[in-house]
Amino acid sequence: MNCYLGVDIGSVSSNFVLIDNEHHLIKKVYIRTQGNPVKAIKEGFSELTDEITQQGITINGVGTTGSGRYLSAVLLGADVIKNEITAHAVAAAHLYPDVKTIIEIGGQDSKIIILKNGIVNDFAMNTVCAAGTGSFLDQQASRLNIDISDFGRRAVLSRQAVRIAGRCGVFAESDMIHKQQMGYPMDDIIMGLCEALVRNYLNNVGKGKKIESPVVFQGGVAANAGLRKAFAKILGMPVNIPEHYDVMGAIGAAMLAMEKMQCSRDNNTQFRGDEFILQGSFKTSSHECQGCPNICEVVCIKRDREILAYWGDRCKKWENSLNEKNHAV
Amino acid sequence: MKITFPHMGNMHIAVKALLERLRLEVVPPPPISKRTFEIGIRHSPEFACMPLKINLGNFIEALENGADTIVMAGGWGPCRFGYYAQVERDILESLGYQFKMIILEAPDSRAYDLVKQIKSLGENVSFWEALKAINYGWSKLGALEALEKQLDYYLPRARDKARIEKIYNIAVENIDRAVSKAEVYEIEEQSVKEMSKAEMKIDLPLKIGIVGEIYTMFEPAVNYDIYRLLGRMDVEVIRSAYLSDWLNDHILKGYIKKSIRPDIIACARPYLNYEVGGHGLETVGNTVRFAHMHLDGIVQIGPLTCMPEIVAQSIIPQISAQEGVPCMTLWLDELAGTAGLITRLEAFVDMVHRQKLKAGNYQKEA
Amino acid sequence: MRVGIPKGLFYHYYFPLWKTFFQDLGAEVVTSAATNRRTVERGIESAVDEACFPIKVYYGHVRELCRQKLDYIFIPRLVSVEYRSYICPKFMGLPDMLKAGLPELLPVIELTVDVSKNDRQLKQDIIRVGKIFTNNKNQINRAYQHGLDELSKCKNLCREGYNISEAIQIWEGEQLELSPNYDLNIGVLGHGYSLYDHTISMNIIERLRKMDCRVFVAETLDQEEIERQAAQIPKKVFWTLGRMMVGSALYMDSHDQFDGIIYLACFGCGPDSMIGEVIERKVKNKPFMFITIDEHTGEAGMVTRLEAFCDMLRRRAGKYEDYISSYG
Repeated sequence: MNCYLGVDIGSVSSNFVLIDNEHHLIKKVYIRTQGNPVKAIKEGFSELTDEITQQGITINGVGTTGSGRYLSAVLLGADVIKNEITAHAVAAAHLYPDVKTIIEIGGQDSKIIILKNGIVNDFAMNTVCAAGTGSFLDQQASRLNIDISDFGRRAVLSRQAVRIAGRCGVFAESDMIHKQQMGYPMDDIIMGLCEALVRNYLNNVGKGKKIESPVVFQGGVAANAGLRKAFAKILGMPVNIPEHYDVMGAIGAAMLAMEKMQCSRDNNTQFRGDEFILQGSFKTSSHECQGCPNICEVVCIKRDREILAYWGDRCKKWENSLNEKNHAV
Repeated sequence: MKITFPHMGNMHIAVKALLERLRLEVVPPPPISKRTFEIGIRHSPEFACMPLKINLGNFIEALENGADTIVMAGGWGPCRFGYYAQVERDILESLGYQFKMIILEAPDSRAYDLVKQIKSLGENVSFWEALKAINYGWSKLGALEALEKQLDYYLPRARDKARIEKIYNIAVENIDRAVSKAEVYEIEEQSVKEMSKAEMKIDLPLKIGIVGEIYTMFEPAVNYDIYRLLGRMDVEVIRSAYLSDWLNDHILKGYIKKSIRPDIIACARPYLNYEVGGHGLETVGNTVRFAHMHLDGIVQIGPLTCMPEIVAQSIIPQISAQEGVPCMTLWLDELAGTAGLITRLEAFVDMVHRQKLKAGNYQKEA
Repeated sequence: MRVGIPKGLFYHYYFPLWKTFFQDLGAEVVTSAATNRRTVERGIESAVDEACFPIKVYYGHVRELCRQKLDYIFIPRLVSVEYRSYICPKFMGLPDMLKAGLPELLPVIELTVDVSKNDRQLKQDIIRVGKIFTNNKNQINRAYQHGLDELSKCKNLCREGYNISEAIQIWEGEQLELSPNYDLNIGVLGHGYSLYDHTISMNIIERLRKMDCRVFVAETLDQEEIERQAAQIPKKVFWTLGRMMVGSALYMDSHDQFDGIIYLACFGCGPDSMIGEVIERKVKNKPFMFITIDEHTGEAGMVTRLEAFCDMLRRRAGKYEDYISSYG
């Protein structure tokens, strides 16, 4: 069977998917990045290999996305390296061809994507403020001593959400503690937190964007039933959750790889194969380049002794030096 | 007297040429580095806008290198820039530096007054010599800008981008070293010829316009070299302003060449019909002008909290909707990293690219 | 005809002028409510994130007026209110920003006030605006003159210790009385549209008065003396309000009656970031406190800072003992 590999390396989670020629999901793997993307990539890929050998899968193309897209591209050998906005939009637009708004909330960041006729027309992303991301709920859950996986279930039990004020996570937290001490029921507070996150999201990344139906809600946080309900309530429109909401970025990357391979004349994927990935020992190191006053922090990645890539240099001196060497060989 | 001035893109090359012809010893600040940012931020008011902080870093580093006289531009509001020199002088004095500060206020009326101001800077130079010095500095500026335009054109088109950048970098260094106008022209011509030999890609590049605040548009150290970033993504950048245009419009009052500023202001009129200080009105006007030129997208850049650019930012979504051109605002913050900025730019370029593909008017270059 | 005037920004300086002008032309003047939580929320929703707090609040006021039955909303474009001085770039683009940002915006009466060079254009613009209501030029000019007279009545009240915003309340017929009990004289500086807005400033002036302070602001001082003081610094400050603040700070710094100076700055305010720096460097004799606020600032922190500042001043002045006993 021919498959395409999609990889989404974020700061919190790393996702891997295999899709077939008909865009069916064959396998998905979810791993916590834990600050070590190289390890996450190796682990994620080794989990996939069992599936690959059992089913006799050939990988025809590889796409990477997420903040670790360049790193994973080097390790795996990618045909397509795409930013998260495009990857998420492509995946959602395939499932819902008339989608107009994509809400994506992850652990550390959030995005809104507005589409027109299936094409991204506008977008915004938030990487700075935690008040509109999953980590906000994580923090509050631990403060309330509730397992985060219970959060959604309890939120939907609420009849009347408590209004938790504050646009910033810190203020919302102090308001929440206040409400807790006033004796409001726990479920209502949890739902209140969900609504606070939705309001923060809409005021922050969603600002000035015209949100139109159909809306697709994806990202790891979409698992939370309380948030789904809060979005539907505050937006006043139904919210669609894709079946594989948690790996949509990776699916998009795989689809982009498929698109690229099917369009281009030579069908040779850059994919490096399991031996390269699993047998090698990868090491990253960094140094400050003293070549000019920018003093860029240049990152170097090596497999055993071979230098695979450099990045981080503004002038591209290091990046290009590798190309020149390759040309020479 | 060892004279210094703030950095802004390639400006130091032209200013150095001018001042040296006035028989002055010039100590340009070292190129802007992480250290410049660090010391600038440390000694500046926390909520001041970024250019002030970088200026200050430049001055401190130049004073450390032996400069004793600072030349700085003034201005008369309402943008904060007009008060930079005052605050910078107070800060430097309180840090214990000994120096003289010469503030060039934009002349109210004629270019003649400016030449006189420049003449009085120099050591024993005649009016005629001052004029020739200006002319010499101007020729270097012109050559540098011509090269920038070539870089913007060839970088997205060339297969071997590193080579184009190399030609440009070497040419800039050589122009700095050149000692005559003839030599400057020679370097310019040679470099252009060499760039034009590059093997080109078949696809017509996307065209994206850059509008916004002057300093952040001119200084690659603060805009993360956005023109090259885009060029490397196969995007042809259309700059909304060059330093020579700005000097011509604001300091020389259209004395040297015909200004396109009236056209820009006319473009802004349906959306903004009044000066808002700084470069705000031009940003709005250029956004509309670029939309009329059917560029594929427009990116506004400015330093965080820049007042005129906030006015423009508030108006740009309306222009985007009415003129049908994708627009994005990027605020540059001295404390933020590049990762978010690059992802945003990539996503914007991708969006523009896919919109164009869908619209079906993506042509191959003839 | 009904004309709405948003209760934000230069309402706090010019309301009597505008109200009289429009009323004399036969219009009914409606204002938005004093800034409240809804105003702030509406403003934050619609203004760009980077705008300063008072501008966001102004958006909120305009949106509130848009929900009422009005013929026009008055949004002046204040460029310059005196020769060779400016307000702030955001004020110069205010009507355009609102038109671009608020789809629900009602018809706007714009009035461009730019006397940086001369007042010819202002005079023309007043006639243009007046003609919306009447064709009688004399009536328009009389209405404007009447407005100016009412405004100067208000300004005279400031000499009794009221700030301009309180003077406007008195002009509107409210009863206000300043407490005669105080043991500290504190100068409070800041842009009036932040300082006098109870929500934006978290009522800093009233809070100080409750702590037995007599509060001085720029308008309550001798205006000529302020100008003299402001002229001391090497380059004249080209923002009107900024120059007033620098002058007031130097005035307060050099007069014995003042115990301390507080500067209330708004996060994201351009002039504050420069003027605050200038003042902080020039105030040498008096305790000085710089407070920066934005829409996230909590009240508790502000109260603690004010209390600590007053306590410190009283200790310094040896007034602490009396203070305790008077409450004992």
